[in-house]
Amino acid sequence: MIPSTSSLIPQKKAKSASQTVLDKYSAKVYKKRKTHMLMVDHTAPAPQEIEANVRTIPGLLTHRGCCYAGCKGVVLGPLKDALLLVHGPIGCSFYTWGTRRHKARPRKDEKNFVPYCFSTDMQEGDIVFGGEKKLRTAIDEAMAIFKPETIFICSTCPVGLIGDDIAAIAAEAEEKYGIICTSFSCEGYKGVSQSAGHHIANNQLIKSVIGTGDSVPITKLSINILGEYNIGGDGWEIGRVLGRIGYETVCVLTGDGAVADIRNAHLAELNIVQCHRSINYIAEMMQAQYGIPWLKVNFIGVSATIKSLRDMAAYFVEKTGDDSILQRTEEVIADELVEIQEELDYYKQRLSGKTAFLYVGGSRSHHYQKIMRDFGMSAVLAGYEFAHRDDYEGREVIADIKVDADSKNIENLTLEPVEGKYHLHLSEAAVAKLKTTVDDFGYYGGMMKEMENGSVVVDDLNHFETEEFIKMLEPDVFFSGIKDKFVVQKGGVLSRQLHSYDYSGPYAGFKGAVNFGRDVSMGIYTPAWKLVVPPWKRQPFLSGTIGDA
Amino acid sequence: MNNTTGTTEIIGATEAAEAAEAAGTTGAKALISLDVNPCKMCMPMGVVTAAYGIEGNMVVLHGSQGCATYIRRHMATHYNEPIDIASSALTEQGTVYGGAKNLERALDNFIRLYNPFAITVATTCLAETIGEDVNGILDSWREAHPQTTVQMIPVISPGYGGTQFEGHFAFLAALLKNVEMNSAPTGRVNIVCGPMSPADVRWLKQLVCQLGIDAIIVPDCSQALDGQHTEVYSRVHEGGTRIADVLQMAGSKHTIEIAKYLPEKLSPGALLKREYNVPYTRLNLPVGLRDIDALVNALKPFATLANVEHAELKLERGRYLDAMIDSHKYNALGRAVVFGEPDFVYSVARMCAEQGIMPVLVATASKCPALYADLEAELAPLAESMLVEKWRVIDEADFATIEELSVSLGANVLIGSSDARRIAKALDIPLVRAAFPIHDHMGGQRVRTIGYEGSQALIDRITNALIDQCEGSFREKLKAKYLVQPDTAFAVETTSRCLSNPDASLPVRTARQYLSDSVKRLCKHPTHEHPCFSKRCATKSTRIHLPVAPKCNITCNYCLRKYDCPNESRPGVSSVVLSPPQALKRYLDFKQQTGKVAIVGIAGPGDALANFDNTKETLRLIREVDKDVGFCLSTNGLLLARYAHTLAELEVSHVTVTMNAIDPAIGARICPWVSLDNLVYTGEAAAAVLLANQIEGIKALVSLGIIVKVNTVYIKGVNDAHVESVAQMAHRLGASVQNLMRMVSVKGSVFENYPQVDKPTLLEARVACSKHLSQMRHCRQCRADAAGLLGKDLLVRSLAERRTVVFQ
Repeated sequence: MIPSTSSLIPQKKAKSASQTVLDKYSAKVYKKRKTHMLMVDHTAPAPQEIEANVRTIPGLLTHRGCCYAGCKGVVLGPLKDALLLVHGPIGCSFYTWGTRRHKARPRKDEKNFVPYCFSTDMQEGDIVFGGEKKLRTAIDEAMAIFKPETIFICSTCPVGLIGDDIAAIAAEAEEKYGIICTSFSCEGYKGVSQSAGHHIANNQLIKSVIGTGDSVPITKLSINILGEYNIGGDGWEIGRVLGRIGYETVCVLTGDGAVADIRNAHLAELNIVQCHRSINYIAEMMQAQYGIPWLKVNFIGVSATIKSLRDMAAYFVEKTGDDSILQRTEEVIADELVEIQEELDYYKQRLSGKTAFLYVGGSRSHHYQKIMRDFGMSAVLAGYEFAHRDDYEGREVIADIKVDADSKNIENLTLEPVEGKYHLHLSEAAVAKLKTTVDDFGYYGGMMKEMENGSVVVDDLNHFETEEFIKMLEPDVFFSGIKDKFVVQKGGVLSRQLHSYDYSGPYAGFKGAVNFGRDVSMGIYTPAWKLVVPPWKRQPFLSGTIGDA
Repeated sequence: MNNTTGTTEIIGATEAAEAAEAAGTTGAKALISLDVNPCKMCMPMGVVTAAYGIEGNMVVLHGSQGCATYIRRHMATHYNEPIDIASSALTEQGTVYGGAKNLERALDNFIRLYNPFAITVATTCLAETIGEDVNGILDSWREAHPQTTVQMIPVISPGYGGTQFEGHFAFLAALLKNVEMNSAPTGRVNIVCGPMSPADVRWLKQLVCQLGIDAIIVPDCSQALDGQHTEVYSRVHEGGTRIADVLQMAGSKHTIEIAKYLPEKLSPGALLKREYNVPYTRLNLPVGLRDIDALVNALKPFATLANVEHAELKLERGRYLDAMIDSHKYNALGRAVVFGEPDFVYSVARMCAEQGIMPVLVATASKCPALYADLEAELAPLAESMLVEKWRVIDEADFATIEELSVSLGANVLIGSSDARRIAKALDIPLVRAAFPIHDHMGGQRVRTIGYEGSQALIDRITNALIDQCEGSFREKLKAKYLVQPDTAFAVETTSRCLSNPDASLPVRTARQYLSDSVKRLCKHPTHEHPCFSKRCATKSTRIHLPVAPKCNITCNYCLRKYDCPNESRPGVSSVVLSPPQALKRYLDFKQQTGKVAIVGIAGPGDALANFDNTKETLRLIREVDKDVGFCLSTNGLLLARYAHTLAELEVSHVTVTMNAIDPAIGARICPWVSLDNLVYTGEAAAAVLLANQIEGIKALVSLGIIVKVNTVYIKGVNDAHVESVAQMAHRLGASVQNLMRMVSVKGSVFENYPQVDKPTLLEARVACSKHLSQMRHCRQCRADAAGLLGKDLLVRSLAERRTVVFQ
């Protein structure tokens, strides 16, 4: 479905906005940044292309993080029963301690290392003489005190440069203690953003964790939830709904997740993928090794949640030939809606006609457009920090993506079916049939197809561009993270953080949608905004310079 | 994390830590290689914060972009301001070919968009590890841009070079080195600040204004990091020390450096003295009356306004003194933990001491070996007058160490950054957020600590935290946190006690006092039939231990539940683990074989209560088929309070609790690790949690009429002088008998090389203990799967199939 042109988008301004912003750059930067911006035009003769996942331009205030952030912080961080040991100087260990709101609730007798931060705290001497000995004793100490069943070692910048062999040390520890001990060489300088770290984490989990368990699911409706990190309890709300319908979750990668469960991931019947960017490698690799198909879902917003639930049901009907799951799905949807409809209507009435910028990581900027539309809002600009072209344009472009030096440095595993563990879950004919009704089965269409004509897309939107676009496109809300929000918020525009939900949440599922509506309404209608006026409504936005010498 | 060791290598570390402790110095963190929950950040963080105090000065971090992103995120959360840090965004290619090109492009792009007056180029782990020559890169950049007016300030700041505290001063040193100084005399006064909040710097500015001093305050973050709402947004932050003023520092008549632990080589005061002969005075952070007075007195000679002897300042000081007097009685209850940067902890500890708040723990994460000696003269007499026995001053600390010491030192208020919020929550101790970073509250930029009003505000917050805690029945809360509550509504009479002092005024009770008639009925199996409790029947009554409990929730240094040897007989050893139905079968087989069984016992091989589902089910199954057999179990006592009532319902008549110490310091040497409800405690905290629950558990059992035996493992050199105290306590709790056991040295356990006690010594100890509690003298230290008469175990026939089991 191609969305129609929204009356909320200031078409004229949008058309000239990119140009105005780019004009401030030097010729070199102009040329580079130009390819990262476009105005959505569904009437264009060929699909629009955007540049993404290439090196950050030095000196511009990018909001991107590093490889370590993607590996240690995003993918591995939420795991409860793995002791994450950062091998490196203290800073990066500290900066990932409790900074992401991935909630964890250990089951009875389950270890929970999420509240902890473990580091080898390398000093100058360790950089000069090597940190291997320190890492070894740190593992011994961690084993003596915390007795984990899994240790994941993550390295920061200096480690790769001084050549500490963390893989060998991990292997030694596995042997010595009979635990899972895996190393992740996720030095900050690898790749061009967090994205490289996601890939490294995906690779290691496939190599050393997935497929090592033997706990067979009890029901025929078993699934893995991929790319759901339980920010503010999102995963719990999704789990609640799936549980009502009767799905059995084998494991979650990785929100409130456990290595003990992920070991059994290969025994599930279906992978559902929430965050495509950070976890699609595992979905693909599990299909290759174990034959498990995957389905792209989106549990942000009521309409998206309903579609995802129906898609899942369609798969299981096709697979089992039993359509009771479809009935059960519809019952639960109807029941959930009854409970929240009144509140949804109220917030819709408050929010209709409001516009927003969406600038989040690698999937959320897409997911949140649906919930906004449910409430009658519109995205005038959307962009990702670290996405690839397929997250914008759809997986059909993957084959055309240029492989550059940076992506070559991240190992790309080609995997064969694992003997005895590979199952063909659906016949080719059944897959083809399913695909005619479920477009997201084994496929992701990307963000741009669902954006309105005239809306602006910017990849790796930096601080300067944010400020420029804001004053031209005048949104009511700026959805982003903490680093980018203050310039906008202090100018008098509401900001909501979509990485952390500003200590709120969950926003996923049925009940989460109500929370989202409530939070955005509260924000837009706060009395404080009456006391300040956004700069563009009063006088031109000036960029000041200081200098009197 | 003292004494929480598992390998011989680390035992060495513990000893080193103990030696350091004995020498009265530092070394609290016994884990040498592992930092658990860091109490520090990296150098570039300090550089950026200090750099924000120079007008028109922006930072480019030379390294991977993550460094800039993380620091922006952390500063933005604390200051609630946009934090603009650029990065040279080095990639893998840069690490191979050098990052010069990236840095040059970063400078070009940054200047084009932001056009700052000065740029601080700070290095990171990455740049320093690959050996970047930033000065060289900047030289060639300047050559290529001859017309540039941008002041460049290169700083060497690898993350591994120090904490944010050192980073702050590394920036200041670089600033003075790179700005072209002008030594023409100006008559001004330099004030060099360590890390301070914007609100604190504002007070300093107001102070010099009051005194009429023309001061150069550097750095001045009062506006840049605590901005006002403006109609026009400026991309380059406003406010701060102007470079035009910085260069005049060489011509000032004096420098006052507010930085107690500033390394001499980074000292701007020392540099200005050395190169421009500007005299300087080093002062403490002006927190607390003496150190504020010291600053005011140091400034007074330069004052030009003698307006009525600085009446306003006098009033401020007077109000502060008045406030101190008003709150002294609440403060006397304060047992504070002060943690953070060296200057902060030093001055806040002194301020607390002035107020009669005992800082039981002063901890910094920086290397600061002088801290202890500097505070000793202050804290030792205070401790004495406050009757505080134990207090510590430590450097290179992590939060795991701070947490453990907070428990063992009996702290009731934490003062520092918001990073201790997890400890505050876990221990139910209030946290006064007074230092960077404050991530979970608003207003970090406005936190006041210096000056009369600042210290007064801080003290009020501390006092109020103490009052709230006192009023809010702190002890009850702490108890609820640490003591395992009964799993039924059954009320167990308890008395309120402080965790760290288990010896305090316990009522004396005996079993008899609590044996009401209804309870007596539960106790069908008189003690004279139990082979352990009665020597007379030891040769007659048969008993069977059913090994249904493999897991344990504590770690004892003498124990290893790993190996099975059919020829070895000691607690914690078993050939198999049985499920409840298997245990029932075994019991029935055994009964058929021997005729009469007096007692069924659950003795591990782990802890009977740590596997309570199995234990409960086993006893239930046996009771279904046998109404007469007596039940007995042994436990470490950690979960005893929770399950005591259920044990009574299951008709357990005898319980053995292993209690090796009643002093957490000694307990920690024996049992350094406890896992309770998904939380792990180590060291003295672990021992205290275990002990508190043993005490409540035994009291509950006794009140239910269950006969309690206390097992005490006699470990030479550890608890040998302490076993009599254990006996005394056990008696007061109402236990019936004590079993003083020799320690079996188990190969591979931590205590494997500890000496065995000889028989005469053990007998002597039993005589001493018998003054308090009758002694069991016929123990055979049975296996967890023993069956038969004491010392004459039979092999149960159904267990022909043996296998080696490695327990968790």
